[in-house]
Amino acid sequence: MSDPYKVLGINPNASDEEVKKAYRELAKKYHPDNYTDNPLADLAQEKMKEINEAYDTITRSRKGGSGGAGSYSSGGSAYQGAGAYQSASNPAYAQIRQALASGNLQYAEQLLDSSPTRDAEWNFLMGSLYYRKGWLDDARSFFQRAVSMEPYNGEYRQALNTVSQANSPYRQAGYGSPATQGGFDMCDMCTAMMCTQMLCGGCR
Amino acid sequence: MFGYVRPYVPEMKVRELERFRACYCGLCHELGREYGLAGRSILNYDFVFLAMLLWGDRPDCCYEYRRCLPGLCRKRCVCQTSPSLTVAAGYSVILAYWKARDGRADGRGARKLGAAAVCAFLHRAYTDAAGRYPEFDAQVRQRLDALAALERAGEPSLDKPAHEFASLLSFAANAAGEEEKRPLEQLLYHVGRIIYLADGYFDLEDDLKTGNYNPVAARYALREPHVPENVREEILGTLMSSARMSYAAFQLMPVSYWTSVTENIIGLGIPDMIRAVIDGTYKTVRRGLPKSPLYAGGGEMEQ
Repeated sequence: MSDPYKVLGINPNASDEEVKKAYRELAKKYHPDNYTDNPLADLAQEKMKEINEAYDTITRSRKGGSGGAGSYSSGGSAYQGAGAYQSASNPAYAQIRQALASGNLQYAEQLLDSSPTRDAEWNFLMGSLYYRKGWLDDARSFFQRAVSMEPYNGEYRQALNTVSQANSPYRQAGYGSPATQGGFDMCDMCTAMMCTQMLCGGCR
Repeated sequence: MFGYVRPYVPEMKVRELERFRACYCGLCHELGREYGLAGRSILNYDFVFLAMLLWGDRPDCCYEYRRCLPGLCRKRCVCQTSPSLTVAAGYSVILAYWKARDGRADGRGARKLGAAAVCAFLHRAYTDAAGRYPEFDAQVRQRLDALAALERAGEPSLDKPAHEFASLLSFAANAAGEEEKRPLEQLLYHVGRIIYLADGYFDLEDDLKTGNYNPVAARYALREPHVPENVREEILGTLMSSARMSYAAFQLMPVSYWTSVTENIIGLGIPDMIRAVIDGTYKTVRRGLPKSPLYAGGGEMEQ
């Protein structure tokens, strides 16, 4: 295995706090939520595993052997389970979902093309297929159709939301966008109130 | 259609901006050395970006001071030649040549004449570059042919023509190392989509006037340059989703010498460019590096 410190991008004499911080940042970066339906999801998962292992190795060696590192490893591995698809009503659709999840897009397309029904779920799956291919405009059209056929389905709405989101593009990745920096959002307000509170406390 | 991919300067560190400029100059010198004046004339930001992405695990960039035509009085800091600059220079010549060929075949009026002139001007440089990178040349040719066929047919899908251009760009990932090839392919695919679609949106008015194919006009059956609000929102959403996907792919690339600069370009520069193209302010910021630092945080870009 490669050097765990190198994997986390830190110096071997970094403090425990720094190790934890580096680990958390990387875990946020490779979090499966950032790679839902992404063709690179497997790579992200691999990276996640790598940093989990590196973090475990470091904490274990610092605690001098077997002590107490287990809690972190279980916390870390919770990140690994990528959100699988929900159960499907139609067995043919289950097969398509499986093909999509395993990245076999050609097979999924074949199945979708030969499917006799064109209901909401079919439209949703078509959308998912296009999303995976990176054809986002077509994907949106299919998601829109799925949502208009079944407006109360949370899965379809979520998918449509993801593909039509225009603002705060990299919030998940923790990277500010210029358009949001000038604004004054609820978090700023909250922080400002906390600061005021602290200052007022200090005056007393 | 090039030059859309650039950094967001107000958020850059001074050293990052200087490195970026040095890399830009480095690519220019590389083009001049390998392909002469014709090569230099096609220099653009997109291929500086490509050169930085293809850097891989090579050691830190070396710099030197050199003179050039715009920098006659004072020597400028320039990146020394490196394999990734050489590849980016070759690719940019090939792509520029085929784009011009396409324009010569399909364009109308002044555009056709201009493209024909560029074609003749670039021909020698192109022959050199194609001899060195025959695979990339074949790929570009094939993809642009497919794209031209779609354009001639007036393809109403946004994604189909964008796919051809995106695949062409993602082919450049083959010049990268094994570890970064897959994420880089995906990254370049989405950047290619963004370039193609943003350019389509930007050219909408011109294309409607001259009667050339325009993907946005074909997709939404637009007859006038005015784009309805909901359509604008949709295109913005599509482009931003692509930007998000390219950023997600970027996160999976190993860290290199240029990572902080490329992160700025993908994370901030591209979204900023997209917003500017969609809200119509791109024309004013197109020349040179975008905007003065005074611009940062202003409300102009709020939707």
